[in-house]
Amino acid sequence: MDQSYVINATNIKKHFKNFTLDVPEFKLPEGFATALIGENGAGKTTLLNILTGIRLDYEGQIRYFDKYSETDLNNIPDVKERIGYTGTDNYYLPHWTVGQIEDISSILFDRFHPDKFRKYCNDLAMFGPAGFDKSKKVNALSDGTKTKLMLANVLARDTDLLIMDEPASPLDPLMRDKLCELIREYINSGENKTVFFSTHNISDMESVTDYAIIMEQGKIVEQGFVEDLKEKYIVVKGEKEDIEKVRPILYTMSQSNYGFEGICLSEDLDKLAGLDIVTETPSLFKISVNVMKKNSLIK
Amino acid sequence: MTGRKDALCIQYVQQNKWGEYLKISQNNGIPIYKQIADAFRSDILSGKFKQGEYLPSIRELARDLRISVITTMKAYEQLEAEGLVTASQGKGFYVNAQDSEMLKEQHLRKVEEALVSAIEAAKIAGMSEAELIDTLKTLISMSILP
Repeated sequence: MDQSYVINATNIKKHFKNFTLDVPEFKLPEGFATALIGENGAGKTTLLNILTGIRLDYEGQIRYFDKYSETDLNNIPDVKERIGYTGTDNYYLPHWTVGQIEDISSILFDRFHPDKFRKYCNDLAMFGPAGFDKSKKVNALSDGTKTKLMLANVLARDTDLLIMDEPASPLDPLMRDKLCELIREYINSGENKTVFFSTHNISDMESVTDYAIIMEQGKIVEQGFVEDLKEKYIVVKGEKEDIEKVRPILYTMSQSNYGFEGICLSEDLDKLAGLDIVTETPSLFKISVNVMKKNSLIK
Repeated sequence: MTGRKDALCIQYVQQNKWGEYLKISQNNGIPIYKQIADAFRSDILSGKFKQGEYLPSIRELARDLRISVITTMKAYEQLEAEGLVTASQGKGFYVNAQDSEMLKEQHLRKVEEALVSAIEAAKIAGMSEAELIDTLKTLISMSILP
């Protein structure tokens, strides 16, 4: 099947004093949920801010929906209408009320549906059993509820692409499960709906992740469809006496008094023939942690 | 008001349609895509899914089973590779004609593939043609025994 991409970016660069974001090629597959994974400070938010037009001081070219350029993002309303964004910082002013947010969103976006907004607010139980309360002020909401508010707001619009920076972090386990459900609903609401989110909660989000992009120190170090990554890497466990034999072959390894556990590239598995090892398919969490470990400065 | 409640009920039932049909286990060691492919395969071969019938869309199935889209897609691609279903652009996957002739053909292809890999392994092991044929004969006689 030919895969199309909702965002195609090339040669994205941004220099800071002690950090450089350098992404020669970035593609976001259409019709799927993509997770952006990486350590603190890996450049995830910088990349998201560049792609969403929040940060404009960068080098590189971006194409949206195969027809709009990075300058179109700010000049042609259709592009912004089609992209929904939630950030880590609450972007509503603290003294705004929920009712004012509803009014402002209606003015800002043609395709904002107040009825949908209220429905999501109620579905996410944002105001307790009493239901929708338009006089509630933003600064009276908890961090989790502020995130729910941003989600309800963005889902109340007709968009084709949702970009979310760390949506799961402030949420409780039940609400993370609900977030996965909302993402699946969104993906299923049309043929070409795309979701892109950054996350540290890989295990919680694994069941909704189709494509993963792993960043380390400003670079994309691994990416692919999760099912392909699960074939590319394999978990290997074995005995203590084989540690020195497997060390040069394994991608990453940790050892204990009893033996070793590591990740091996599946293509290298033949080199371990004859050793007493157990293999298993890795979870996305395991793949991510090991790819991060391989590329991290953390010792 | 009751009308609306009924509508919600119907939606609820529909949403769980494929979750009811197919129970997957997250930790029984069998990859999820395989569990899905296995379930659909046996129902296609037993005729529960008729020729030309569409399988649920990958995104609908993913939502109902609470798994990622790419996992359901991989399951369908496996069924497609086995010749059980065909992908139709923009419409999803439909069930192929499952006549006995075609099934036989599929199994013949599997036999050929397995034999080719056996021949390759025999080459590496330095087995002669006669030895390979002997081994095959022995295995056949063993498998016929109860």
